[in-house]
Order: sequence, then structure tokens, then C-alpha cells
Amino acid sequence: MTAMFLFLIASGLSLVFGVMRVLNFAHGSFYMLGAYLAWQAMQWLQPAGEAFWAAAIFAALGIAVLGGIVERLLLRHLYGRDELYQLLLTYALVLIFGDVAKYIWGTGQLSVQRPPLLAGSIQIFGTTQPYYNLFIMALGPAIAIGGWLVLTRSSAGRMVRAASYDREMVGALGANVGAIYTGMFMASSFLAGLSGALVTPLQSIVPGMDVLIIVQAFIVVVIGGLGSFWGTFWGSVIYGQVLSFGILIFPGFSLFSVFALMVVILVIRPWGLFGRPVR
Amino acid sequence: MFRRHCLALGCAAMMLAPGAAWAAGPIKIGFPIPLSGPTATYGVPILKGAELAADEINAKGGVLGRQLVILPRDSKANADEAVRLARELIIKDNVDFLVGTLTSAEAPAVSTVAKENKIVFLAPSAKTIGLTAPANLHPYIFRVASNTNIEGAAGAIIMAKWQGIKRVATIAPDYAYGHDDIAAFTAKLKQLRPDIEIVDQEWPKLGEPDFTPFITAQIGKKPDAVYCALFAGDFISFVKQGTPLGYFKAIHNRLADGGEVGAVDETSALGADYPYGIWADAYDPVIWSGDETPAHKAFIQHLRAFTKSKYGSGWSVMGYISIEALADAVKKAGSTNEQKVANAMLGLTIDTPIGKRTFHAKTHETEMGEYWGMMTKTAAYPFAVINDPTYYDPEPEKE
Amino acid sequence: MNRRRALLARSVPWTLLVFLVAFWVPWLGSRYDTFLGTQIAIDALFAASLNLLLGTTGLVSFGHVAYFGVGAYVCAILMKTYGVPFIVAFPAAGLGAALFALVSGYFCVRLTRIYFAMLTLAFSQIVWAVAYKWNSVTGGDQGLPEIPYPDMHWMAAVPGLRDLGSGDRFYLLTLALVAVSLAILWRVVRSPFGRMLTTIRDNPERAAAIGLNVRAYELAAFVAAGAFAGLAGALYGIFNRGVFADYVFWSKSAEVMIMTILGGMGYFWGPPVGAFALVWLNQEITDYTQYWPFVLGVILLVLLFVFPGGIVGGLVAGFRLVRRHLAGRDA
Repeated sequence: MTAMFLFLIASGLSLVFGVMRVLNFAHGSFYMLGAYLAWQAMQWLQPAGEAFWAAAIFAALGIAVLGGIVERLLLRHLYGRDELYQLLLTYALVLIFGDVAKYIWGTGQLSVQRPPLLAGSIQIFGTTQPYYNLFIMALGPAIAIGGWLVLTRSSAGRMVRAASYDREMVGALGANVGAIYTGMFMASSFLAGLSGALVTPLQSIVPGMDVLIIVQAFIVVVIGGLGSFWGTFWGSVIYGQVLSFGILIFPGFSLFSVFALMVVILVIRPWGLFGRPVR
Repeated sequence: MFRRHCLALGCAAMMLAPGAAWAAGPIKIGFPIPLSGPTATYGVPILKGAELAADEINAKGGVLGRQLVILPRDSKANADEAVRLARELIIKDNVDFLVGTLTSAEAPAVSTVAKENKIVFLAPSAKTIGLTAPANLHPYIFRVASNTNIEGAAGAIIMAKWQGIKRVATIAPDYAYGHDDIAAFTAKLKQLRPDIEIVDQEWPKLGEPDFTPFITAQIGKKPDAVYCALFAGDFISFVKQGTPLGYFKAIHNRLADGGEVGAVDETSALGADYPYGIWADAYDPVIWSGDETPAHKAFIQHLRAFTKSKYGSGWSVMGYISIEALADAVKKAGSTNEQKVANAMLGLTIDTPIGKRTFHAKTHETEMGEYWGMMTKTAAYPFAVINDPTYYDPEPEKE
Repeated sequence: MNRRRALLARSVPWTLLVFLVAFWVPWLGSRYDTFLGTQIAIDALFAASLNLLLGTTGLVSFGHVAYFGVGAYVCAILMKTYGVPFIVAFPAAGLGAALFALVSGYFCVRLTRIYFAMLTLAFSQIVWAVAYKWNSVTGGDQGLPEIPYPDMHWMAAVPGLRDLGSGDRFYLLTLALVAVSLAILWRVVRSPFGRMLTTIRDNPERAAAIGLNVRAYELAAFVAAGAFAGLAGALYGIFNRGVFADYVFWSKSAEVMIMTILGGMGYFWGPPVGAFALVWLNQEITDYTQYWPFVLGVILLVLLFVFPGGIVGGLVAGFRLVRRHLAGRDA
């Protein structure tokens, strides 16, 4: 289940990199803000209960809008320049959003109740699986399949993939590259905000969750291959497995194992399992 | 005529401002402690308790006629940050004393800063036995908190009485506090119940957001009971993630936690999600079933008013005691000279809202125990309450 | 006319000048000023070492704090656990960091752009994980506190320095070591080797076409940068009176990068200026508000959009503007 969560988060990151060649540090911040927004929505919609789903969608949409604003106002102006500037821009956003969240919601831990619809659990193979966790485990592949279908079958998806191969050509052919980029960024932010909202019944919302998650997301996209949906999916699965085994077999070194995995992949096959061979 | 008015005014002014003319300025107390992140659940109330104490002391005229001023800084439970803040407080803000730090990673680090700069430092919360171990002890470090030897031993004593336990597991944060606490626990348990086997040990890092892999691994080992050292925000996350996975059901809530998760701060944060039936402790149960001293009643009343909270906190008393102790030591020493105050601290006995506590001359700590009990549901409160809080202070292990 | 000015700029021993000005801080400033000064000096060296990669060679490393950390731990372990004197431990720290840079750099320079950055980040996090877990050697989460000061008794022999406390003495020692290191770095950047690096930065294909072994040069730059970062780390461990695992977290790499860019990565003196500005700004701002990261983020945004050349870049541009204006008036 950890793996599927990471997939939800990392998929947006991978998408943005695949199309726009931007590694978005602020993706973790969008995730965190999505969590806070969902919590806030739950507060407004008291008594909450099933309002959780509305809160999650609200949060995801809110973050999508935020992503759009960021892309249009800030990121857009740096496309021509060195990648370093774009990276630093996203890092500046991490700093800014982190403090904005602290200012609005304080420094304590916040949490959200599980939605009553999925509050129970079921016994499978002798272990207890909460319904909510199962939901997340199902959502992961659903989004993966859905995203893949949209990218490969729809005309919009084809446009997006073409733009990631050759931006100028696509622009010359008359497509509105700017709109594609904004759209992609908003979709990615939507996914980040949604994951943040969906994680709130499982984990506490706390300052610093943006920094913690972004490194994990990086590892996942590196393993799977930047820009590949399926790569990110399998990358998350592998990450989850390595982490679990690390905890089981090398309890002291679980921290170390995932970074070592990242190094190994980058050394042997930098473009990841499913990425395009490019160094 | 005019001159007489001036004289009268001058006299009146002199009478109205007795201390102003020769006050040497406030006594500054640097207070680095986590104010954000998962450990802030404990850090913030400790600071509040300290501020309450300072307020009360200042209202009575301060110490040696000087007001106490607390300078709080957010250490984020980070040893490097705590050291940096401590040095800044000393070099830039010229603090007279240091009080604070929460975790057992921060306190030993700040202790070395205190040693080098010869500044008295009181640690209200850090429990690692290493803080006052002979190798690290120096004249200026004092610990208000309990320590891992006492806590681990208390947990073992309690668990040893449980029936039908053959397999025990532990889960503790992966740093000095967790390691020391579990070591003390397993040593005492081995002594009392050599028939019990430790079947699993999990070590999530401090501030871990996702405990599920650790929980699932531990459930797999099928323990009968668990000794847990997770605390503050980590314990909250652990419970929220463990309950749906059936963790607490699998062990029938036979869990003991020495990380003060019986404190009101923690129980009110978890509310109805709290795993009732576990054994937990707190320095100050706040809600006593029966014999509550008038001093404690008054303290809790003042605390609730000061922090504008309905129930108060089980942690503020530690900040409160730290400032009281420091103030008493300064009064006894008659000055803020560091050596004199440090000497005055040795063997100092103070009256606290939870009873008398003494800073032992040899170990520089109070070696105090905590109040343990089973966490139960009561009609009167919307959160878990320690049932019949009992003070446990087993003799600390001789090093 | 311009050639003469450029020659003048180069022949003026800026490093010496700055050293002479900074020298007087213990006498003119408070204990806190010396404290800040030591921190600025160390950060200046750290940032300048990063700039060898970033500004000179065009390599974006996100894991530079790894070499800083290795240097800090090597020096601290040698001095504290084994009682090795500073005069041996200090270069050993640089050597240790250089060795680690050699090994990790070998793998990193085979990649470009984002992948290079990711691998440097990964290695840096491994250093962090090892520092955090290897309790017996690095002290683990407790770190290595109580690092002894180097033997500075010889300073008493120098007239005027006898009355200084250890904090002040260490400041002067740090200042001297940093000045020498910067002077060496300056020579490296100005040398033919440095010019090759610049060529690689500007046009890697062309550099390969004219026969340069791009990877070898990049690796060399990586090792040199790592070595100097290690020296900075060694000084920091002593200054901070302790080395802790938290310092080797990747956010420190981001911080030193911001310092470098704030000062201006196109100029040798950019990073030291950036170090000074950042430390000073941090001091001033944290007195008023706890939201320093927000301010830092905004500063970074302003830099990216308005002053990509950093402070030094802005000053140089402003200077040129003034000169042109004056020249225009005279014409």
C-alpha cells in the first residue's frame, strides 16, 4: 500500500519530467498542501463523515489551480533558460509553500478520520486489510491504466507525447505548446494534491512532510524511469518491496537500502527500467 | 514653589520605582526545544510550563530582585540545530542559563556546549542514561526528567506481572533514547522473567510518517505483548496506522509504553482512537482518582488558565519544575555565578506540584519515576485516563 | 584600456586584501561577530568549492554536502577518537573527501544533467544514512560532540595575539586557511586546466571534438571540489564543536547552492559574497520572524528572475552601466 501511495505521488512528478523536462521539487509541497486543504475542507464541512470524498476532490482541484498559476506566472518564463533555474525555482517554491502552510495551519500535527464508507477491514490470508488501504491499492493501478490509456489512445495524449519528443516541431505544426505544458503541470499538481488528500486518514499532516516525500518520489521515478507511467508504477512496487525486506532482514539498514538501490540503478541503467535510453 | 513640587515628584518617583535604580537587568534563560514537527506535542507544553513558572516567580518579585526572561527557540528535535541555537543564545543573546531540549539526541549535544561555555543547563525531558553517565557528566548539566534505566525497568516490572505472556516484542525510535530504553527493559525483564522470549524488535526512525511496514513485520512475529517507546506525534501516527491493521487486536492491547503517552496532551490528541487497555505513564497524570494534593490542584488550575486549555497538560510540570529549580538554586547561591549556582543545584530539594524532588549530588539528576496505570475510558472525559496512577521508581541500575 | 583594467583586476591580490580586512574582526567586533565571521569564512570556502563544479564546469551537483560531511567526520574522528593533531587531520580530511569524490565522481560524471544531479543526491543521502547508523564510528544520531580545538598555543608567541581567546584564535586560523585555499582555487580556475573546464561548460561537444577527455576533466574538477569541501567541513566540525548527522542532509546542499547563486556563480568571488550575504541576512531576518525559509524562497525567486548574475553580477552590471553613462556624457 505504501507503494501505491508513492505511485500516486510520483506519477505526477514523472509526467512533468517526461513532457517538460522539469524536475519539480515543489511536487512534495503540492502533496502537503493537498493534505492541508483536505483537512481544512473537512473542518468546514463538519460534521464530516462522507464529506471526505468531496474534501479530497476539492483539495486536488485546488492544487491543480495552484499548479496552473505557478506554471503560467513563474515557470513559463524560465523555459528557455538553463535547467538549473527551473530546479531552483521549484526549490524556492518548496521554501515558500512550507512556510505558508506553517503560517496558516500552525506547526502541530493534524489528522483526519477515515471515511465511514471505508472504515472497516477484511481478513485476507490471516492478515487484516483495512478497506481504505485496499481502496488505495486498487486506485494505484487504476490510475496507471487510465493514464496510460489517455496518453496512448487519445489525441490529446498523442499531442502530449509528441511535445515531449520535439517541442518545436509540435509548435510548428500548430499545436498550442503553452497550453499543453500548463495542462500537464495542472494534471501533475492534481495528482499530487489528490495523493496528499488521500493520505490524511493514514498519516499525520505535519510540517516537513513535503521534504520527506520528495526524496522518496525521486527514488521511485529514478528506478522506474523518468517520464514513464508504467515505470513509475513498477518503481513504486520495487521501492515498497525493498523497504519491507530492508526492515525485515536488515533492521538497522532499511534507511540505507533504498538510497543504495537508487545509486545502483543510476550507475547501471540511469534511465530506469522503462525510461528512454538517454544519458 | 516650583522647586518644592519637583522635590515632591522626585520623592514620589523614587518610592514608586524601588528596584529600577539598581536592578542588574533580567536573568535570561535560553530555551531551545522542538516547537514544530511530531515532537512539538511535548515541546510546546514544556515551554508553557516554564513560562508559567517564570510568570509566577516574576509576579512575586523575581529572583534576587531580577525578572526571569525566557528566550524560546525551535530546535526541531535536531541535534545540530539545538547546538547552533544554544551557541547563538550564549554568544549573541548572552543568556545566563540554558533550559530545554526534548530528545535524547539534542540534550547530550547541548550538554557539551554547556560544558565548554560553563553555563548551567537543565534538561527537562531527555532520558538517555548517557546524558549523566560518568564519561559525560560535568558540573553544569542537570536533568529534571526520569531516565531510561528507570523507565525501562518500570516497564519490565509491570509487564512481568502480566499472565500468559511468553513472547514479547519491542518497538522504539531508532536513536539513543529508544536503544537505551529497550536495553534497560530487556535486561530487567530477563531478570524478573527469564522464561519470556524477545521475538521481535522494530526500530522506526524518529519522526517516521509511515509505520505500516514495521507494524506488519511485527504482527507477523505474533508477539503476546509489546513494550513500546514511541512517543508524541510518532505514537499518534503509530496508533492511527496500527489499529486498522489489527495490531492492537492481535496483542489484545497488551502494550506498555514508557514515552508518557498517558499524558493528557497525548490522550486528548487521540481522543476516541486511543487504544484503551494499554499501560502508559505520565509525569503528571493531571486527572487523579482520589488523593490529589492541594498544591497540584492549584497548579493545574493556574496552568489551565495560563494556557487557556480545558484540561491542562501532563508535560508542563517538567518545564515548571526546571524553572523552579533554577530559581531556587540562584536564590540559594545568592548570585547568577555559574559555579555557585551549579554547586547550589547539588542535593537541592524542591517542592513540586507532584511531590518533593531532589537533584542527587552524585548523578546530577532527580532520578524521579513516573505514574503508570492502565488507560481506561471514563464517562467524565472524552479521552483515556490513567486508572489509579501509581508511582513507579525502581532503583536506577548501578552503572 | 579594458585589457589594462582586467590585468589590474587580476593582479590585485583580492584574497590578501579581504584577509587583511577580515583580520581585524576579533578586535573591532563582538564575540558574536567573530562567531559569524568564522561561519562566513567556512561557508565561503564551501560555496567556492561548489562553484568549481557549478560555475566553472557547469556541473549541477545536488550532493555537495557529502564531501563536506566526509571531511568533517574524518577530521573529527582523527582528532577526537585518535588524538591526531590538527596539522595532520586537516589535510587528511581533504584527502578523505577527495577519495570519496573520486569514487562517487567516477560514476557521476558518466551521466549528464538531471541524472548527474540525481546520482550526486543519492550518494549524498548514502553518506547521511551511514553517518546516521554507523554508531561506533560516527556516533550515529548522537554525533560526535566535544571536538577539541587545534593546538593554538603557538599563537601566543605572535605579538598581539596572546590575549585572544580560543574562539578568536580559531577564527584567525580559519581565516588564514580559507584564504590560502581560496588563493589555490583561484589559481586552479585561472589555469589552463580551469580554462578547459570553462570550455567544457560552454560547449561540451566542441570540447570533445578538439580532443579533450571531457570525463577525465570533469572527474578532476569533481575531486578538487570535493577536496576543498572536505577542508571546509573539517573546519566546520571544530567550529561547531561537534559533527552531527543532520548536517549532511540534502537540504544543506541546496543551501550552499543558493549561497553560490546569490553571490553570482559566474564570478570567483560570487560564492564568498553569497556566503556573507546569506549568513548576514539569516541573522537579521531571524531576529524579526521565524519565517526565514519564506524570505529565502522569495530572495531566490527575485534572483532567478531579476538578478541571475547574483550580487556580484548585479554589481558588475551596475558598475558597467555607470561607466558607460559617464563615458557617454564625456563623448
